Amino acid sequence: MFDARVSRRYATALFDAARRANVVRAVEDDLQGVQAVLDGDAKFRSVLMAPVVSAEEKLELLGKLFGDRVTALTMQVLRVMLEKHREPEIAGLYREFSALRRTSEGVTYATVTSATPLTPEQKDAVVARVAGQLGRSVEAQFTVDATVLGGVKVAFDNYVLDGTARGTLRRLRERLRYEVLKQN
Amino acid sequence: MSQEQKSSGSPIPGIVIGIVLMVGGVYLSGLTQESAVIKDLEAKGIPLNPGVTVAAIGVFLMLFPVINLFFIKPLHEAINERNESLERTFAEAESLRSEMETMRGDYERRLAASELAAREQIQSEIKKAQDLRAALTTEATQRADALVSRAQAEIESEKAKVVQELRTHVVDMALAAAEKVIGENMNDERNRRLVEEFVNTVEVVK
Repeated sequence: MFDARVSRRYATALFDAARRANVVRAVEDDLQGVQAVLDGDAKFRSVLMAPVVSAEEKLELLGKLFGDRVTALTMQVLRVMLEKHREPEIAGLYREFSALRRTSEGVTYATVTSATPLTPEQKDAVVARVAGQLGRSVEAQFTVDATVLGGVKVAFDNYVLDGTARGTLRRLRERLRYEVLKQN
Repeated sequence: MSQEQKSSGSPIPGIVIGIVLMVGGVYLSGLTQESAVIKDLEAKGIPLNPGVTVAAIGVFLMLFPVINLFFIKPLHEAINERNESLERTFAEAESLRSEMETMRGDYERRLAASELAAREQIQSEIKKAQDLRAALTTEATQRADALVSRAQAEIESEKAKVVQELRTHVVDMALAAAEKVIGENMNDERNRRLVEEFVNTVEVVK
């Protein structure tokens, strides 16, 4: 069973070691690659999570897949997690590590949602505008959701900047319902 | 009492006087038998003999105590006894009448007291019944008023709720229609303008 606290604990140890070795970006790229394989290859994921497969076999598999592609630090962490039977928490390692890195660098992570894919210019404009407003760097993940109808929505920390047509309709609905309630 | 004393006096003087008068009358009759006056009266049809008359008076005086002893005195005693019996009877009757009057008065007083108590109790019960009726009427009226008020309030509340639901439904329908229209009319150009508007106007307020 996945436990985010365990992922955070391993990510914190890994981040501290990577910062001391000055390989934070390289390790993050390694974790992003591992995460992409986990998300994209269901067979690999099922083998990695299977309790009937021994840790040695899983280590051998990981070594063949990532041995010459990731840093030794990343490989060492994966080995330790496998030996401790913490396979489910490997899936949360990248997210927690990136969060630690962003916090360390003072970077805000934002999710930008639009009805259709944004052009590179639009992406840059949105990130630049939000970063200018916040006064710090912004890393954005762009997602497409047709239900927002049009416009763009930016979510970061506990804030949401909703410039979508659906958001406008939602605010209008809330306003009208408030007026209806006020009449009684 | 004085009559008894009189009747109970000694009869001897009367008897003595009677004997004297009887003897004197006999003697006088002998003396006056040849009297001219007597003869003259006899001639005129008046046979008067004073000696006989005096003797008769004397006999009467001698016999009077006997008459008195055997007739007058028992009669007098019977009369007295009768009078006393009557007086006792009258006294007893008067006593009974007085007692009866007392009892009747007592009975009437008791009756009046009982009637008064009964009347007061009846009045008290009537007043209690009237008070109870008034209290029940007031309570029933209050309950009815409360029920009516509550029913009216519930009706108003339900009415307001229905109106509110209707308005909310109208809002939802209008916004659903607007969403559909917006979705159908959204294109790349409009979407681009919305993104530009967001980029130009968005502000972060912390």
